[in-house]
Amino acid sequence: MEQDEDPRQAARQPDQDPKAQARAAKTQARAARAALASMLAPVRRRTRVAMALQIIGAAATIVPYVAIAELAKVLLAPGPADPGEVRGAVLIAVLGLSVRALFGGVALAVTHFADVALQASLRRRIVARLGRAPLGWFTANSSATVRKAAQNDVHDLHYLVAHSAVETTAAVTVPVAGLGYLFWLDWRLALLAPATLPLYAGAYAYMMKDFGPQMGRLNAGIAAINKAIVEFVTGIGVVKTFGRAGRAHAGYREAATRFGDHYRCWVRPMLKLEAFASMTVSAPVVLLVNLAGGIWFVRAGWVSPVDVLTASMVAMVIPSVLVTLGFGPQARREASAAAERIAAVLETPVLPESCRPKVPDSHEVELHDVSFSYDGTVDVLDGVSLRLVPGTVTALVGPSGSGKSTLASLVTRFHDVTGGRITIGGVDVREIATEQLYRHIGFVLQDVQLLRTSVRDNIRLARPGASEEEVREAARAAQIDRRIEALPRGYDSVVGEEAVLSGGEAQRVSIARALLADAPVLVLDEATAFTDPESEAAIQDAIARLVRGRTVLVIAHRLPTIVEADQIAVLREGRIVERGRHPELLAADGLYARMWATHERAVV
Amino acid sequence: MIRDLSAVLGSAHRAVLFRYLAALCGYAVAQGLAVSLLVPVLGDLLGGDTGGAARWTGWLAVAVLITLGAHYVQAMLGFRVALVILTTLHHRLGDHVAALPLGWFDGTTVGRLTRMGTKSVLSIAGSCAHLLQPLVTGVLTPATVVVVMVFLDWRLGLAAVVCSPLILLAARVSVRLLNRMDEIDDAAGVEASGRVLEFARNQPVLRAFGRTTDGYPPLEAALKEQRAAARKQVWMAVPGMLLGGFAVQMCFSALIGVGASLALDGAVDPVELVALLALVARFAGPLAEVGEFAAVVRMARNDMGRVRAVLDEPPLPEPERSTPVTEPGAVEVDRVRFGYPGRRGEGPGDVVLDDVSFTVAPRTVTALVGASGSGKTTLTRLIARFFDVDAGTVRVGGVDVRDQTTAGLMEQLSLVFQDVYLFDDTLVGNIRVGRPDASEADVLEAARLAGVDEIVERLRDGWETRVGEAGTSLSGGERQRVSIARALLKDAPIVLLDEATAALDPENEAYVQRSMEALRERSTLLVIAHRLSTVTAADQIVVLDEGRVTEVGTHQELMVLDGRYARFWNERHRALGWRIAVDTS
Repeated sequence: MEQDEDPRQAARQPDQDPKAQARAAKTQARAARAALASMLAPVRRRTRVAMALQIIGAAATIVPYVAIAELAKVLLAPGPADPGEVRGAVLIAVLGLSVRALFGGVALAVTHFADVALQASLRRRIVARLGRAPLGWFTANSSATVRKAAQNDVHDLHYLVAHSAVETTAAVTVPVAGLGYLFWLDWRLALLAPATLPLYAGAYAYMMKDFGPQMGRLNAGIAAINKAIVEFVTGIGVVKTFGRAGRAHAGYREAATRFGDHYRCWVRPMLKLEAFASMTVSAPVVLLVNLAGGIWFVRAGWVSPVDVLTASMVAMVIPSVLVTLGFGPQARREASAAAERIAAVLETPVLPESCRPKVPDSHEVELHDVSFSYDGTVDVLDGVSLRLVPGTVTALVGPSGSGKSTLASLVTRFHDVTGGRITIGGVDVREIATEQLYRHIGFVLQDVQLLRTSVRDNIRLARPGASEEEVREAARAAQIDRRIEALPRGYDSVVGEEAVLSGGEAQRVSIARALLADAPVLVLDEATAFTDPESEAAIQDAIARLVRGRTVLVIAHRLPTIVEADQIAVLREGRIVERGRHPELLAADGLYARMWATHERAVV
Repeated sequence: MIRDLSAVLGSAHRAVLFRYLAALCGYAVAQGLAVSLLVPVLGDLLGGDTGGAARWTGWLAVAVLITLGAHYVQAMLGFRVALVILTTLHHRLGDHVAALPLGWFDGTTVGRLTRMGTKSVLSIAGSCAHLLQPLVTGVLTPATVVVVMVFLDWRLGLAAVVCSPLILLAARVSVRLLNRMDEIDDAAGVEASGRVLEFARNQPVLRAFGRTTDGYPPLEAALKEQRAAARKQVWMAVPGMLLGGFAVQMCFSALIGVGASLALDGAVDPVELVALLALVARFAGPLAEVGEFAAVVRMARNDMGRVRAVLDEPPLPEPERSTPVTEPGAVEVDRVRFGYPGRRGEGPGDVVLDDVSFTVAPRTVTALVGASGSGKTTLTRLIARFFDVDAGTVRVGGVDVRDQTTAGLMEQLSLVFQDVYLFDDTLVGNIRVGRPDASEADVLEAARLAGVDEIVERLRDGWETRVGEAGTSLSGGERQRVSIARALLKDAPIVLLDEATAALDPENEAYVQRSMEALRERSTLLVIAHRLSTVTAADQIVVLDEGRVTEVGTHQELMVLDGRYARFWNERHRALGWRIAVDTS
């Protein structure tokens, strides 16, 4: 059962036609298997070595039984037994047991080390791939997905790599070796030993006939419970404050009761059948069949009593194999699903890097007829042209959802345009090497990104070689110097551990970082989400320092902030509808003028 | 495990569990006895008495039938237990969670509880069939065989008895090894996980500053550490997995050796010896595998632990009936001290509020002002009783919140906080949550005031557009407007409002402004204020600084005081006049 996804997602899963569902599941399973095979390729050789070892170890399982039979022959022979022969038989038994333990153990060790190596290399590959994915990919895929792929999913391969091959090999080898030996003794015994297996197989096949739809129904039931929990828990604040607690709770209880009822209906018949099926291969039944048959064979003079002894011992080992084989598919399914998710991450499109990168010779940023779409159908930006003259401030304003942030993210190349082009100094950003690009463009965004390392390293991220004085100078200019010095270990304090910073403080650290990076073009989100007025004033002072002498593109949330901008671009539904300076736009009496009027009314 | 199960099931259902366990034990013993009949059958057969062997086989058939019956009974009882566990756990979890204080819920709760409600509960329910059954039969059936051996030949039986503690010891050691290794892996895994997450979240800066081309050192180090830990783990895991099997095989070897030498001395009947060895050979296998169940047991125990952790969480104590409200619309915070409970019972956390006192008269506006982290949000949460205070009293409507039922308290309050939950329902349905029996006109009026009608115009299905998890997603500001509309519709005597995010952009700001004017006419307003206009228009301003109230008064009074508030107001005023321009200096 794959309940690992985001619960909300699972809750949303609609009830589909079970047949279509089964078909879709089949195609998906095939893709998953292919993904799995290519993922396991690097450890295939080691897996084969382990399987070879395990074949020897598993075959040795039969040896003690043969030895006991030999012992029986020696002891039951008329006249006093030869101690040498007895000792020989005991020695063979012990030898068989040792070989089994040794080879099986080494095989497991081999696959376990292979698993460790594979996990490490997969993690490294995932991380390397992510380092080259388009930045926009990270907004579309939550970072939790990434973590899940790199940690949980990789870990889910463990059973498959470390156990499955070795255990399946043993599960196949033991009965093959046992039956082979019995054939060598007498073909009738070899047929008698697995006599009850067809019954089991029949019952099992009958059970599996309905398995797909049953599983589908069960999963739908789980999804329903999931949905009930999501509604119940997420909405509990609202539910309680609006006095609907009883109702939401009742909804959940009902879902739980219904699930219990359905679970009984679905699982009970399967379970009954399973109980019967497993009886047919249980030790007492197998013993009964083999002894009864054996007595008949002895009476008929086909086999000796000692052969019946051997056959009974071998026959009783065979069913235990079924348990292992039964576990296999489930584990394989889970691992396949994990492999598929990892493969998806590994196949993340890489941001194309120009093979002959150019270096821009000026800092003028220009958008030429830029269009952009996240999903390929709806254009978020449509035919946007804009020029950022060096040393000027350009402000983007517009209602929420008008495309301001998207536009800014294209300039920083978090995404690539789907139409038109963006140039810096006349060079298309796609033709500039990543490193070179960010030497020209810096950004301070709302979502502040600090790393769990020292404050100093956070500030000098752009220039690891910056001197202590340069770091402090940047911090001072960003109005955060004194706060940092008050931390338990000053600039050495680790962010998130010793340095617990408020949103506004973190923002100022990121401004210090941008100051030190000293890129000529700056993309700025005029952050207002900080509820802390003192911090806000300090942030503003810091930003004022930062923008000095740069080419600035600012996403404006509050209009008064940008009344002095050199250029204001008003966006609506992905298009620039107005452009000009504040007085010009007011005079034009368009969208901007309306927004300004709303603002004036709101602020008393 | 069984103790946990029985505790979770409660006395009403405990009987089923014990009936199941009894049936299971009966089955295991019956199986052991049935298989033991191998000895007389083989004895006669090897001794040349096929008639005797056939008679014993008849007895074997009878024993087999009994065993099969026992198997069926235990399987069905096991299923009944599973069902009881399933529904009992689901219901108990639901009932308990509903009674927990709102403060218990955070961003991770949904994920945790859905996982628990599906995966953990199902796996606990399944543990009877998948865990208890193999475990009990794996131990009890061989034990029965050993007892039978003692009766058949005391010397061989004794040898087997002597071996048992050895096997048990090996199993224990192996379980301990496997547990230890899990801990090693965990620490390294957590660190690596954290670094991967950091790497993904901070891609823009890492990339912009050239930290992806040559690798991000902390992540590299964490992955390397994880690999080293994993290798160390294997060195423990492989011996751990093999130890149990190894012990069993040693014992088996010893038994063969002892048996053979006894037979050579003529001390034991060779026929019986061979038959006994055959019997032991059958059970050496399953017993060796019991150790492998350690992992399954651990998983089940972890699931159980997660469920119990939730069930052990203390619910919010609530009176049977609310004390009647004496002063509708009033809020009084009286010498309140509070610190968030430490995570995982690390004792009381840092004090967030200390000796906070102020009163809010009915139908007045109080603005809470202070730097982030000064305790404003916490204060509103205490008034809504998301948590209980450590000292002092919070009175709403003149009555201690602890003397009111949740429903009674909530009747008096409307909350407009930052995180807005929309139900999987239509837009209008989501507003109606505020007062389900409101008239159509009331709903429309509330929506209009809060600016929801403006959102509706842009939606294809208008008022009937489905919003929430599965529907059209609204922006943060739009969600906030819906939440304000709810509050307007509910028309509670007291409104707690966090203005911070509501005032983000000009269009939202205008709606928030309008709604607040409507609200203040009929309710008491307690606002975490951000806009200067809200603050100056308030009847009372409460200034919080590091969890203490430093100043209380009107705007004029506090400006005259020339303290923290005056400083704040000047800063804020300066911030408002701020302009971005390249030549700013």
